[in-house]
Amino acid sequence: MSRETDTRAAGYGFTRPQLVTLLTPDAEFAALMQGMWPESVMQVSHFTRGRRAIETLFNDPPDLLIVDGELADMPGLDVVSLVKSENVYRQLPVIYVISQEELESGRDWLAAEIDDFLARPLRPAEIRARVLLTLARASRSFDANPLTRLPGNTSIIHRIQELIDRREDFALAYADLDHFKSFNDKYGFSRGDEVLMMTARVIVNTIRSLPGIRSFVGHVGGDDFVFIVPPEVVETACQRLVATFDNIVPSFYDPEDRERGNIQSTDREGRLRTFPLMAISLAVVFNRDGSLKHYGEASQIAMSLKKKAKENPTSCYVLDQRRGDAPPPPSDLPG
Amino acid sequence: MAEDLRTERKGLILAVKDLPTLPKVLDEVARLVERSDSSTDEVAKLIAMDQVLSAKVLKMVNSPIYGFPGRISSIQHALVLLGFNVLRGIIVSTSVFEIMSENMVGLWEHSLGVALASSTVARAAGLRDPEEYSVAGLLHDLGKVVATVQLPELKGEIEQAVKTKDLLYIEAEKEVMGFGHDRINAWLADHWKLPPNIKEGLSHHHKPHLAQLYPDMACAVHIGDFMARVFEYGFGGDDNVTYLRPEALKRLKLKPVDVERILDHLSEQFLEIADLSFS
Repeated sequence: MSRETDTRAAGYGFTRPQLVTLLTPDAEFAALMQGMWPESVMQVSHFTRGRRAIETLFNDPPDLLIVDGELADMPGLDVVSLVKSENVYRQLPVIYVISQEELESGRDWLAAEIDDFLARPLRPAEIRARVLLTLARASRSFDANPLTRLPGNTSIIHRIQELIDRREDFALAYADLDHFKSFNDKYGFSRGDEVLMMTARVIVNTIRSLPGIRSFVGHVGGDDFVFIVPPEVVETACQRLVATFDNIVPSFYDPEDRERGNIQSTDREGRLRTFPLMAISLAVVFNRDGSLKHYGEASQIAMSLKKKAKENPTSCYVLDQRRGDAPPPPSDLPG
Repeated sequence: MAEDLRTERKGLILAVKDLPTLPKVLDEVARLVERSDSSTDEVAKLIAMDQVLSAKVLKMVNSPIYGFPGRISSIQHALVLLGFNVLRGIIVSTSVFEIMSENMVGLWEHSLGVALASSTVARAAGLRDPEEYSVAGLLHDLGKVVATVQLPELKGEIEQAVKTKDLLYIEAEKEVMGFGHDRINAWLADHWKLPPNIKEGLSHHHKPHLAQLYPDMACAVHIGDFMARVFEYGFGGDDNVTYLRPEALKRLKLKPVDVERILDHLSEQFLEIADLSFS
């Protein structure tokens, strides 16, 4: 995968050319598809038979699969269910091509794991719209965290690398919760999920309350979140986040624990232990004047900072000060 | 009362879709959220004066969509979690009462008075998070508003009964509707998944001695309601002062000298907000 953003593909909102696998015996349809977009936007590989395509699909999954219902060697839907039954390929969006008769006769749309359909007679304008919509929809939902619906790991890494490649200054903050595990152990997973939903909401709205900036919030998984903001506002963001989180989190405990300010839970050895209320720890890495070369560098620095942040049992943030980078000017908390 | 009539009325009440408010606070909040430099605290302070806007904000943030039903009882927290975008949506979809009756203005003032008094009582009693007592105080008569909107044909009858028979509003409600606003409050709190402590304040402010889960809350709102009526701040629907249950004072360990101190404090506070008007 090319790291550089392809400007022509970007004209369509894609960061690189989209790979489309087309399974159809219909040569006219294939020619239509291949002529619809320049190669820099959409690369269509055409197969007339299902079996031949399967190995390629598994080895090198495309961004979109278009399957004709009437393949010479097998029903199109069999190819679809083969792909969709494997968890690693499930996110691959599928457009199914059917005849008017099949559409009229009705089919079990809930059972067929397809994402959209095209009905014959095929019209170029409709093909164009369906293909672009399906790709856009898939990229939106592809790696969203199932709980918070925030962008997941792939989107996060992608966004960071994109900013690094563009040599744009940014501050990248890793957030996680102290004592989340003991909270989960005591109250159970669904109460833990409540806290994660709250945390996501607090981060999103705190970042959004900083006026006129470009920002990004992602959910790595579990109690790990990231956000990206311009370096000059990151300290304000961290201060507000810490204050808001500490204010709200007691509401998620039972009254007695909230009153006492801690919880009792058994640790791995089965001993009863006391844990403080949850706190948020933030580790912030800066990219200034292209100081970062690769995503991995950012996460490595962040992990060592996180250890430092964790030494403090209360909510806190640690800013990366290495390579003599000047710290951002201290900003006053408004309000 | 016939069981099915009660069920029918409960259904009507819970079906409330469009809860209107008075224009004053609504307009001010609308102005504030359009400005880019307004803080959540500023907006929260304003919303905390309007029972309908506060109820809407708490209902939304406690809805299962956000993933933590029944957890949020503070307006300030609710606004942080909802964000200004969602708040703007609530503001633009809220209508105002077509007819601004004096009684409505009086009820808004009364609820603000009870909010103030309840949190003052909570502070005097050394309870944690006094703002939550303020929220319960603010919303303690919400059932009256919802009943007015959803069962408008009974509103006149209730008011008539208050006048001719010299009843408390809640007694007239029971006579006309078959249940009081405290019961409506309990239904609404369950339906909207409001936190259990707020629910107890709303449903038990007339009978704090029966509160099981959060008696402190019920007692503080009960005393707050009494005090707002003593100062005749606003209009709760009748001119009577409710019976102050000694159990409530006992529960919060408030001695006569404490009550005096609270009253002194409140007389200043009510003076401060006296020129504030909802009309």
